[in-house]
Amino acid sequence: MNDARPPLVELAGASRAYVAGSPEQVVALRAVDLAIPSGEFVSVEGPSGCGKTTLLNLVGLLDSPTSGEVRWGGRPVGSLSDRERARLRLRGVGFIFQRFYLLPTLTALENVELPMRPLGVPRAERTRRASELLGEVGLAGRERAFPHQLSGGEEQRVAVARALANRPGILLADEPTGELDSGNTRAILDLLERVRHDRSATLVLVTHNPEVAARARRHLTMRDGSIVRDARETGT
Amino acid sequence: MTRLSWGRSLRHSRLQLVLTVAAIGAAVALPVILISVGGGVSAHELAQLQNAGYQLVVSAQGLHGIAGAHALSDRILAMSSVTAVSPVLSIAIDAFTAQGSLSPVLAEGVVPRDFTATLGPTESGLFPSPLPLGDPTDSVRYADGTYAGPATNDVLVSTPYALAAHVFPGDTLLLSPSTDPSLGVRFNVTGTFGVAPSLLGPTGAFAVLLPLSDLQVLTGFGPAPAATVVDAADTIEIALTSSAAASPSALAQVRSAVAALVPYYSVTSLDQQAEQLHAASAVLTGFYLALSSVGLTVGLLFLALVLLRRVESDRRSIGIRRALGIPGRSIVAGIVRDGALLALLGGLAGVTAGYVVVEGLARWATAAVQEAASLAVFDPTILAAIVGGVVALSLLASALASRRAMRVDIGEALR
Ligand SMILES: Nc1ncnc2c1ncn2[C@@H]1O[C@H](COP(=O)(O)OP(=O)(O)O)[C@@H](O)[C@H]1O
Ligand SMILES: [Mg+2]
Repeated sequence: MNDARPPLVELAGASRAYVAGSPEQVVALRAVDLAIPSGEFVSVEGPSGCGKTTLLNLVGLLDSPTSGEVRWGGRPVGSLSDRERARLRLRGVGFIFQRFYLLPTLTALENVELPMRPLGVPRAERTRRASELLGEVGLAGRERAFPHQLSGGEEQRVAVARALANRPGILLADEPTGELDSGNTRAILDLLERVRHDRSATLVLVTHNPEVAARARRHLTMRDGSIVRDARETGT
Repeated sequence: MTRLSWGRSLRHSRLQLVLTVAAIGAAVALPVILISVGGGVSAHELAQLQNAGYQLVVSAQGLHGIAGAHALSDRILAMSSVTAVSPVLSIAIDAFTAQGSLSPVLAEGVVPRDFTATLGPTESGLFPSPLPLGDPTDSVRYADGTYAGPATNDVLVSTPYALAAHVFPGDTLLLSPSTDPSLGVRFNVTGTFGVAPSLLGPTGAFAVLLPLSDLQVLTGFGPAPAATVVDAADTIEIALTSSAAASPSALAQVRSAVAALVPYYSVTSLDQQAEQLHAASAVLTGFYLALSSVGLTVGLLFLALVLLRRVESDRRSIGIRRALGIPGRSIVAGIVRDGALLALLGGLAGVTAGYVVVEGLARWATAAVQEAASLAVFDPTILAAIVGGVVALSLLASALASRRAMRVDIGEALR
């Protein structure tokens, strides 16, 4: 590893409070320090409500810390406008959500094409790349299916294909197997590991399932808004 | 569970979309009807002006204000470029048939030969030529205060009146300035004439045509026995040579020459009248649009409401798009496109509905409304402007919904 290179994403004393300043204030994240180098496979574990999603949203620029800093490639992103953050998300981050979050009015193919449109990828190229990605996640032939015509496992594969559409440097998966049975869970994890490996992408995977977490090489455990354990397996 | 609610929300919103299109359509139909009928009526009046056989009109403010009409007409006729001069007196009088039935009629007193000379191409077909009135030059008159009588007392009746009152050539008709028949004079019906489609309604088509002097004597606008206004007319219509009629400068020259002769009367050219009509019709169009803006506002509020509702029910989809980094402008573009499409559909529905309503009126409404509706003109430019305007205004509704969409909190929408 090249230590001179700044980590892909860094949190420095990042806190996030919801309804800040009011009696119902919830501190979801407490002064978290975290550096994620490029190419790592990180799992985030912890009980429900401990702040995993909040952490992921900060890393993925969906949200900003109420105090502290988030840095991408060493550069603070706090001063970026909404538009610039959206652009960074579009190009650099692939999100995979627990509830898939496909757009119900679009076909599988259109869902995968969606993030390519704002980048001006020509239609033919878009379609070609989206079909290729659907083939990669084992959904060749299902391009024209709408989300409601797909099984949960298939929907999540489409979501993975969509997350890969713009060849992002980092994949953020928020309990991606939470709504899947064990067979589908295994298939999705295999898929995520494979694409991470093939594309040497960074993968942050939130889960409360220890078996799922076991696939990662670095394990974060959270409790009550803080990271209470950060364990790296040797031989990365 | 999510699937089921999705199908339902789609059906739900389909009804909303149909209602929105209907609301905008109803709002658009009103100006379409008003403007097409109003424009048609103006265009018809304009066409009548342009088809007239004369180019200048002398008229006086107030009732039967031109005095010495015969002498004045002769002096105007003597001017260069003038080919015919026709004084006209129009008065509502009462007509009694031989059977004693009474109806009000519009009496037009004219100098028969001059009247014929100032008829336009479309009008001249409606009148017999020459007019079968015993005194073609109206020489039985108070010219220079001298009565050259006796009058022949001939009258022509309009076809609608002839049919309604069963009065035909060969019959006699008692014409009276009031409902008292003892003040009346008996006239010989010597012919009939057609009536151009007018907007006066069916009673306006009850008309009689008689020599000017006879009408003056009958109604007391001649000198004796108790006249206060001598040799009166309402208007004097002036026909020019075709070369003078075609040249605006020659027309203006003759007009000012006539105006110099009668400084106390107004002299207008039909061109001016047409211009005034244009201006009046533009004002009316503006008024119709203002009137319609109430309905349009309601339609657009409806559209705004529906777009806002769609944003509300699409919060999750909007949140997903924004989470993926899809720029706000492409989300806004979707809303604007939806709004514009609904407005366009509503506009087209409104134009269609307006057309159907006008056609229906032309077929099934009362006679006067039928007549106006049948004159309606559907000007594609104006219709396109109305639809375009509605589409442009839909941007306001879209802006409202877009603002709401841009305020969707990603984290909250995805929780
Ligand atoms: N938008 C929000 N408004 C208020 N409280 C929130 C919001 N999002 C999360 N929280 C609270 O913050 C805490 C952490 O939430 P989250 O990061 O979603 O936890 P996890 O993903 O680990 O279950 C929880 O107590 C949750 O109720
Ligand atoms: Mg969570």
